Order: sequence, then structure tokens, then C-alpha cells
Amino acid sequence: MTWLVWRQHRIQFLLGAALLAAFAILIVITGVQVANQYRAAQAACALHQGCLHVGGLFMGSHVVGFLVISTLAAPVLVGLFWGAPLVAAEAEAGTTQFAWMQSVTRKRWLTVKIGWMLLAAAIWGGVISALVTWWQSPNNAEQLDQFNPGRFDLMYLVPVAYSLFAMALGIAAGAVLRRVLPAMAVTLAGFIAVRALVALLLRPHYMTAVTAYYKVTSGFTPPGAFWQIASGIVGPNGQPIPQPNNMPYIDGVPQNALPASCAPLANGPGRPAGSCAQALAHIRGFLTYQPADRFWAFQGIETGIFLLLTAALIAVTAMLLLRRDA
Amino acid sequence: MTPMEQVLGRGPGSHGRAPEPAAVQTYGLTKRYGKVIALNDCTITVPEGRISALIGPNGAGKTTLLRLLAGLARPTAGEAVVNGGSPRQDPAFLADIGFLAQEIPLYRRLTAEDHIQAGAHLNPRWDAASVRERLASLNIPANRAVGKLSGGQRAQVALALTLAKRPRLLLLDEPVAALDPLARRNFLGLLADAVAAGGLTVLLSSHLVADLERVSDHLIMLASSRVQLCGDIDDLLAEHRILVGPRKDITGLQRSHRVVQATRTPRQTTLFVRLSGPGAPVVDPAFQASEVSLEELVLAYMGQDAPPALANVTAIGEEK
Repeated sequence: MTWLVWRQHRIQFLLGAALLAAFAILIVITGVQVANQYRAAQAACALHQGCLHVGGLFMGSHVVGFLVISTLAAPVLVGLFWGAPLVAAEAEAGTTQFAWMQSVTRKRWLTVKIGWMLLAAAIWGGVISALVTWWQSPNNAEQLDQFNPGRFDLMYLVPVAYSLFAMALGIAAGAVLRRVLPAMAVTLAGFIAVRALVALLLRPHYMTAVTAYYKVTSGFTPPGAFWQIASGIVGPNGQPIPQPNNMPYIDGVPQNALPASCAPLANGPGRPAGSCAQALAHIRGFLTYQPADRFWAFQGIETGIFLLLTAALIAVTAMLLLRRDA
Repeated sequence: MTPMEQVLGRGPGSHGRAPEPAAVQTYGLTKRYGKVIALNDCTITVPEGRISALIGPNGAGKTTLLRLLAGLARPTAGEAVVNGGSPRQDPAFLADIGFLAQEIPLYRRLTAEDHIQAGAHLNPRWDAASVRERLASLNIPANRAVGKLSGGQRAQVALALTLAKRPRLLLLDEPVAALDPLARRNFLGLLADAVAAGGLTVLLSSHLVADLERVSDHLIMLASSRVQLCGDIDDLLAEHRILVGPRKDITGLQRSHRVVQATRTPRQTTLFVRLSGPGAPVVDPAFQASEVSLEELVLAYMGQDAPPALANVTAIGEEK
């Protein structure tokens, strides 16, 4: 079976490997430049004694930066071009009737085919993720944004799980629809929908977010690469206070949320007193966030969700192909 | 009669003959696709070591029957026994079945040589040399993508691959449809040789009665999803007669023989009848009986020449 899988799909495998190699060369060359730039900036800071940040400097070329961000779409490619045709193309051409009339059970045919395809998907996702993670590491150290949506999805474990999921989705869509183009359309739509739903609706709730309250004037920043979910100011009873733009602010609080005794302060400096000081004392800032030390737990949970989805899709495919008439 | 007796007692023709080993037996095999019945209550026997012909008009259920026997489809009801077991997903069962679908499924981008190697990886017995030899003798390039071969060449490749598996039962769905008359004759000769060499049973579907007559001596005929005939061709021919006589009431005749088809002109009646037994006497001396050819037999049961006005008499599809 492996021989046939290789013979049938070797062009796809080689094309995929060539794409990975080209991406790797680009990333390694520019990545070395990024790393050098970072080290030079750090050295310059050391000379000026104690500049803690290299100053939000974006490291690496914008073209490559864009390419790195666009690897968000890399997983779905394996689903579209390898997964969707895997069963659908054979069903369309009728070649399942050739394969299934050799002395090989459908179960083995499916196991070997899916096994190699999932391995290929894992390698695809894994290599891309490793390259991107490495390329991004100076930026991560500097900008501390690896927990944010859109960055979290690019690095470490999750791209591997996304690739496996996309592959399984493509295979299942092909097995259900038995036509390549509709299967590709369903794979694309399904992948985007599931990724968006998980990232927007589920991910913020993997663990209960932490909310910190602080004096508006002092501000608050949690340590490390935390993920900010919400922030703002609340009144004495915890009610949120809107922060409009077209409004004078007194000690970080919009004037309309304060008593009239604060009005003089809107036009010039001064110390709040009396009722104004009392009102200000009861208004606090809040920050709802996922602390930086939960990063790996979140990577693990998200990976687990997509691995479960992958397993479910493979189970559906197997049930369909083993039970249905050829 | 029990199903088993129905299968073994293949009509009166087999009286006194020892039951022959069967490569395929089915009992009431039925396949529905939603509301459509593709095969209805099909009980047949395919004798071992011979070439059996599966004949029927388009849509009669021939492909469905072959796919059920190969295990590519599951019956809605009934049972099939193929090579001593029910069709199943088991390498040993699959190794003994060769099935070639009508669509000639081959990987269009792969070459014949690729298919030969795939077969070698996927089958316990695989006669790669026979395929290479056959392709060479037919001047079919083994290293060209099969999608670039002509339809006839593709069919030859597929047939050679199906034979290379060395199956015990070969199920061929319209295998010669894509071949020219010479290639057809050549291929059927090859099949006859393979069967004569022993250990092989063939069930072959086709529209071409003349081709089947040359190589097969057992006939299964389907029409309207039902089995119309199943038996040795000699027995079936001996059981049928064409009766020509004056235009008169035929109820007496119908009592002792089954009228398959009747054609009337103002002056005479032509009846195609199944006798109560092979060579049984025709009860009405007013009718003159003559023997039937295989072609006539097949056409009578296909009902292709039955005028619609006589549909009540033709009684196609009523096997009682």
C-alpha cells in the first residue's frame, strides 16, 4: 500500500517539500539578519547604560514579516490540495474500484493512506512552525506579543494541530462529497469557520481570566507576554465607565463621570479636593488578562481541541468508507 | 422449495445429474437504492470451472449483481455465497476474486508498468510476467500513462491486470465492450484457455450474445431486476420452443406450458413457450414446434419484440 500511496502522491509530496525548502531558505537567511540586528541593538543599549527596550523596533524585512504572518494560512493548504482530493479524486475517477479489488481490505487502504497524509501534514505544520517560531524569537523577546491572537496561532505546537485538522477536514469532506472541487470549497470554509470560532469564542475561556484593579493614575502592566482581554475604568459599584475621546480627562477619568467640583481641574493643573477627590478615589482601572505563564497551557489546550477534531473527522471518514458501498 | 433446493434443482433439465460444485450461489439477493430496486430476489448458481454468461438489457441489474458478488456493495436482503463464503473485507477473500468494472478503473496518470508493480505490492499471487508479455504482444506501451492510451488499449491493460491476480472467480462487467471484433475474439479465446487450464470460474456480462455463445455454456439472464433464466444453455434451449399455428384460443396450451411471448397476426399465432420439461410434447397438434436459438431465447425474455398490445400475454418478469 505504501508503494502505491507514494507512487500516486509523490508529485504532491515533492512539491510540498520544495515549498518547505524555499520557505526555510528565506526564513533562515532573514532570520540570521534579524538576530544580528537584535544583538547590535542590545549592545548599543548596553553602551548607553540601561535602556531596557530596543524600543518597539520592528526587526526583519516587512516582506518577510508579511510572509511569516501569512503562514496562518499554511495549514489549510494541505487540507485543500492533499486532503480534499485524497478520497474524492479516486471516487471521481472510479479508481477506488481498482484499489479495493486488490487483495487489500478497505480498512488497510484507508489506514495507510490517511497515516501517510497525516504524517505529511504534521511535518508541514511542524517545519513551518519551527521556522516561524525561531524567526520571531527576537520579536517575541522584545514585543512580548506571542500570547496575542494572530501571533499565538503562528508558533510552537498549534500550527501542527491546525495542519492535522485541515488534512482530516479535507479527507472527510472528500469522502462525504466524493467530488474534488466541492470538497475543497467545504475544506476552506470549514477551516476558516472552525479556526475563527475557537480563537474568538473558546480560547479566551480556556482558563478563567485574571482581572486586576489599580489606581487609574498609577497604571498596571502584568509581567511578561500576557494576553490582554479587556481593560477600562470602573466606578465605585464596579460599573464600567465609558471613555469617550471628545472629553477632557481628569487624572485619567472622563470629566462627565465626575462631580461638578472637579470642573476647574479640566482646564488646568491642580489638586483635587473635597467631593472631587473622594469621587476620584473610588474610580479604579481594571485589566482582564491571561497571565504570561499560562502560554503553554493554552498552547496545549488548543492543540488538544484540534487533535480531537482531527480524530473525529478521521472516524467519520472511516465509518463512511467502510460501511458505504463502493 | 427451500432456497437451497431452488438453487440446486436448476429446473427440470438437471434431473438425475449430481449437483455440480458452485463458485457462486445466491439466495434471494436484493439490492435497493432508496426506492429503486436494482436487483430483486435473485437466486442463481454459477457452476465452478466454467464460463457463465450474464445477459440482460441495460439497467437489468447485471452490474449490481457483480458488485454484490465482489463485495463492493452490500445486499439489502438475501445472501450470496462466493467461493464458499460471503463477500467480505478479508485479504484471503479478495485475493480469490477478480473484478473488472465497466468503467475500466485505472489511475490515468500512472503507467501500465506502475499498475503491474502496484499489483505486485497488493496481492499474494501476482503474475507480473503475464501482463508484460500480453502488453508486448499487443504492442501496448507499458511506460506511457494509461490515460494516454486508447480505450481499447486501456481495456486490454485492465483485463491483463485482473487476470494477473490469478483469482479463482473472475467477474467481468462488459469487458469486451471497448474492444474491436478481433481483439474481442482474441480475449475471449484467452479466457477460454485460462478456464480450461483449471481453477478458474468466469462470470461475464455482455450484450453480445454471439460472443457469449462462443465461450460460455451457462446462462443467467436478468430483466427488470429479476432473474429470468438460470441454467445450462443446452438445457434452456431444450426447454423452449417456438410454436406456430392458427389464430385460436391458447388457454389449453397455457395450462401445460408457460407462454413467454405471443405474437398474433390475423391468420396465425406465434408463441414462444417454455415447455413443462426439456423436449416435452406440445399438447396442441394444431401448432408446429421448432427449436430456438440462443439469440431468440434472449430476445424473447428481454421482450424487445413484444408489441405493447400483448403485454398481458408476454408476462415478462413473472418467474413462477
